[in-house]
Amino acid sequence: MAAEFIGEHLLPGKLGYLFIIVSFVAALFSTFTYFKAASTEKTDLSGSNSWLRLARGGFILHTLAIICIFSTLYYVITNHLFEYHYAWSHSSYDLPGKYLLSCFWEGQEGSFMLWMFWHSVIGLVVMRTAGKLESRTMAIIAMVQVILGTMLLGLYFGDSIQIGSNPFKLLRHAMQDAPIFSSPNYMNFIKDGNGLNISLQNYWMVIHPPVLFLGFALSLVPFAYCVAALWTGDYKSFIKPTIAWSLLGGAVLGTGIMMGGAWAYESLNFGGYWAWDPVENASLVPWLVLIAGLHTLLIYKSTGRALSATIIFLLLSHLLIWYSTFLTRTGILGKTSVHAFTGDGEALYYHLLIVLGWLALIGVGLLLLRWKQLPRIKTEETTLSREFWMFIGSAVLCISAVMIITITSLPVWAPLAKKITGKDFAPPLNPVATYNSTQVWIAIIIGLLAGLTLFMKYKQTDAATLWKRIAIVAGISVVMTVLIGWGQKITTPQYVVMLFTSCFAVVASIAYGLQVQKLKFRNLGPSVSHFGFGAVLLGILLSSYNKHAISINTTGEVLNFGKATAEEEAKESRENELLPFGRAVAMGEYFATYIGDSSVPGKDRRVYYKVRFDRMDATAKKVEEQFMLYPDAFINPKGNESGLSANPSTKHYWNRDIFTYISMATDKTKADTSSYHEHQVKNPGDTIYLKAGYMVFNGFRKNAQDARYPAGPDDITIAADITAYDVYGGSHKMAPLFVLQNRGESLYRLEDTVKLMDLYVRFDNFNVKSPEDISASIQTKQTDPMDDFIVLKALVFPYINVLWLGVIIMVFGFFISIGKLITTGGKTRTGVLKAE
Amino acid sequence: MKKTHITLLLLVVVAIAAISATFINFSTYETFNSAAKEPGKSYHVMGYFDKGKGIHYDPKADPNKFTFYATDKAGTQHEVIFINGAPPRDIDKSEQLVMKGYMKDNTFVCSGIQMKCPSKYKKDMVVGEGA
Repeated sequence: MAAEFIGEHLLPGKLGYLFIIVSFVAALFSTFTYFKAASTEKTDLSGSNSWLRLARGGFILHTLAIICIFSTLYYVITNHLFEYHYAWSHSSYDLPGKYLLSCFWEGQEGSFMLWMFWHSVIGLVVMRTAGKLESRTMAIIAMVQVILGTMLLGLYFGDSIQIGSNPFKLLRHAMQDAPIFSSPNYMNFIKDGNGLNISLQNYWMVIHPPVLFLGFALSLVPFAYCVAALWTGDYKSFIKPTIAWSLLGGAVLGTGIMMGGAWAYESLNFGGYWAWDPVENASLVPWLVLIAGLHTLLIYKSTGRALSATIIFLLLSHLLIWYSTFLTRTGILGKTSVHAFTGDGEALYYHLLIVLGWLALIGVGLLLLRWKQLPRIKTEETTLSREFWMFIGSAVLCISAVMIITITSLPVWAPLAKKITGKDFAPPLNPVATYNSTQVWIAIIIGLLAGLTLFMKYKQTDAATLWKRIAIVAGISVVMTVLIGWGQKITTPQYVVMLFTSCFAVVASIAYGLQVQKLKFRNLGPSVSHFGFGAVLLGILLSSYNKHAISINTTGEVLNFGKATAEEEAKESRENELLPFGRAVAMGEYFATYIGDSSVPGKDRRVYYKVRFDRMDATAKKVEEQFMLYPDAFINPKGNESGLSANPSTKHYWNRDIFTYISMATDKTKADTSSYHEHQVKNPGDTIYLKAGYMVFNGFRKNAQDARYPAGPDDITIAADITAYDVYGGSHKMAPLFVLQNRGESLYRLEDTVKLMDLYVRFDNFNVKSPEDISASIQTKQTDPMDDFIVLKALVFPYINVLWLGVIIMVFGFFISIGKLITTGGKTRTGVLKAE
Repeated sequence: MKKTHITLLLLVVVAIAAISATFINFSTYETFNSAAKEPGKSYHVMGYFDKGKGIHYDPKADPNKFTFYATDKAGTQHEVIFINGAPPRDIDKSEQLVMKGYMKDNTFVCSGIQMKCPSKYKKDMVVGEGA
């Protein structure tokens, strides 16, 4: 059959699929042998060791096969082999090379491959470091690889059952019904691929998915260690590696989430870094639970308490990653999310549901089986102990996660709710406000505890010292709150409280680092990460509380809003402003002027718009500050013949960002070229009014020299001296030329232009009645500024840098803690032993 | 009972209270007719863009407003006034719209739209047949 088609490259696909099969079988083999190694460990050590060697070989082979799959797919994409469905639907010839990697994660199969790749790399590290827990943790990791491997199989049973999707599927197999594939030379008609979604053509989109997926992948390790601990019944050896991997997972997943926020902020125009979008929530929730589990694990390490909570949280965190995958990949969120992936239909839906059920069964089943044997401490912890408040903090984080996921999962439970209540539930009308109004209380509690627990000691804290420290920190925080709150005009009571607790976390972390830890670097992990967290809360509060649009439109008709509609809605609706070409429009303390565009759209149809912002001094009327912003937009992008897709442009100050994007622009390719208008001038001082600006005629100049026209000896040249004044107050000298060639044998006219004003001036003719009465007809052409406009939205985010800086510092703190753990060697604290 | 348990119990109670409080905020999916029963109250309405009647957007008059016609799931058609900005990309290609807003004087005043666009596979088919 294949031979019937001309011009196909079938080898890479065959190789690629071979690698898929190899990686799948190797993972299966590795799972089985690791399982055998684990189960014979206590009875037959040498037999167990030979199983272990086989298992390692299997896993290494599996990793190599994954690298080969990646390379093959990369080969298919970079060589533009459009006979493959994946290359055809996610890339095109004009796609810049730097975005070729993004093609991997635009598609379902590529992102599963990325996830698998990270698991296998992490698996290799676990293999080397897990010691006596290797067989059990690796059995789990290899098993998850088998599960992920099924996602790439692309097996069909009959018409209705499909398992996985093969990334090397041929285009003609993906679209069997299309008539084009009946001709053997169909490759001649496939000129180009579908191309990459333009919102993914952004550098954040090249780096953010790998980081996020590494974060997802890292959550598997604590899961595997917890299962291994339950499996062996040894609840000590897993502590140290689990803390280290949870720290790393928290750091990387946190970075990935905020990079996603940065991507949304830099390249999507939904007006901010966080919109409580279901896809964002789905990655935040596992992080919250992971952080809760990390803290209870620290409690367990030092006091022997909270083991069951730790295991529940860490197992849950990884299960939530799968649940997120289920929410975002199956299209179930379809109608509630702005940027959910296109669903792959029912096959994936049930596939992921089975995976989720299976992993939950392993985790929950083992936990229930061992529940009675888990070491517990009978006595009660004291109120003034670190473990008590840290536990409360972890529980609050978990409750926050439950709240967020409940609202996000609306499409999952809505059908059930409809059966019970008869109501067809929809998401809140204002989701951001709904989330903010509940999560502010969580932020308040967590901010307070992040500071408070630092000063507490495990088991018992000296009350007098504690109160003294708290009093000092609280005092400084109150002063900060008053200053910031007054300066930023924060008045809503709960946000004032949040401001206070954020300051409290920041100040307490500094005080703890200075006073208690004496700035000893290797111990600074907790104080640095808590400081970062406090700064994140502060940054979120400052940037969103006073976020405001400066592009408020006042020219349009005012709609009569019903009383039930929020005032916010009315305000929101007027945030777009029309900027005609060359006309300054007031925006906040600035005047914004649209002064041009990159006019020749590239082949990807991206146009950059030049917008000048001037800040004027009100009294002196001089420009105090001037800067340019270049928001861009794809006008009628490929495959979408209407509308535009815009990327924002942002002016960064240390204390605020001015964030702009294009909502609408005229399509220059469709705009009509304006015609010439004729004007008569006679005396110096005659004025011609233009569509934008005006010109003054200064007189004729005979035998004018012009570099563009070297006049011959018999030519008569006459220039019209003109000064053109633009709307900004600038003036431009012009001299359109009129030439009588060879003493009037023929006429020649040389136009003059002012690019800035888009003005063309032609000296068309002149009329001599007497030597004193000479008039000239001057023709002008200028694009109507009202035909060339952009609609711009401009927002101000105050102190957003506090947020970005906070994230970086927090992640840095995580790494200090990891560094300390790694360098401490095998010395686990003896708290567990003592407590028992 | 341990202090931890009591505190946890309290937290859970507060959490359940908070979650149920947000239920009051949940909106419902309605049709134009059922939304018209309470004019001025905002709902979600699912419907389809009328391609024949197109979009009317005059940014010179008001850059924040455009109008179009939509048919809801029950088959009723109404004019929709969008008051929240410029027309989103590909609205005329959408398979389905979810519109947030309220009925007023026989028109639907809309402040938010979510579009369901044709799935990749459907688009594939069209391109394949056209090629």
